[in-house]
Amino acid sequence: MTVGEAYTCLYTGALVILAVLIGVMLIRSIRGPGVTDRILSINMIGTMVISCIAVLYAYLGESYLLDVALIYTMISFVTVLVLASVYIPANPRRKRFANEDDTASKVVPGRLKRKRRERRKRL
Amino acid sequence: MMEWIRFWITAVLLVCGLVSFAAGVIGNCRFNYVMNRMHAGGVCDTQGLLFIVLSVAVSAGSVMDAAKLFLLVVFMWNTSPVSSHFLSQIEYYTNPKLFDHMERL
Repeated sequence: MTVGEAYTCLYTGALVILAVLIGVMLIRSIRGPGVTDRILSINMIGTMVISCIAVLYAYLGESYLLDVALIYTMISFVTVLVLASVYIPANPRRKRFANEDDTASKVVPGRLKRKRRERRKRL
Repeated sequence: MMEWIRFWITAVLLVCGLVSFAAGVIGNCRFNYVMNRMHAGGVCDTQGLLFIVLSVAVSAGSVMDAAKLFLLVVFMWNTSPVSSHFLSQIEYYTNPKLFDHMERL
């Protein structure tokens, strides 16, 4: 067995395993109960596709595939940003939902300043 | 002989990367809430990509290609926490039962 054949076996096996993992994540992104699960699965699929392209670069020996991987990284980042701008409201101080009893996320104005003043007095 | 040493380094790093990816995917299937799943996704984004890129860079043709691979890792490590931050913000604004999943202090 020469070195070239060994490299071919290694990269083919890695690509097959990555394809199986991408399939599992695709099922996960279809089944995911919420919006966030789906976006997270799509993000992970993007990471795996990037590593697939990196392995393909080593398999085929074409250096332009690395440029493709860089562009793919940027696009998968921009995907998450755009989807976030769809779901995150422009005014973040409003109540999240209409009939919400939410004491944990309530913002009390001046609470931090008052605490700091008390601590300074004690010192 | 030198070629075989390089091949074995490549193989070990590649298998490490694949194990990291498999751990991320299994964690994503086993955890039951999206904040926990984000942790498994972070393993994929940082460790898995780092190992795969290292293994490819060991067997890369030139220094320029290895530099491009290094740039890939730098970009991914910078953007992955930002996307996790935005994902948790999406979860905060879309899940009405958010505080059932976590402790209140």
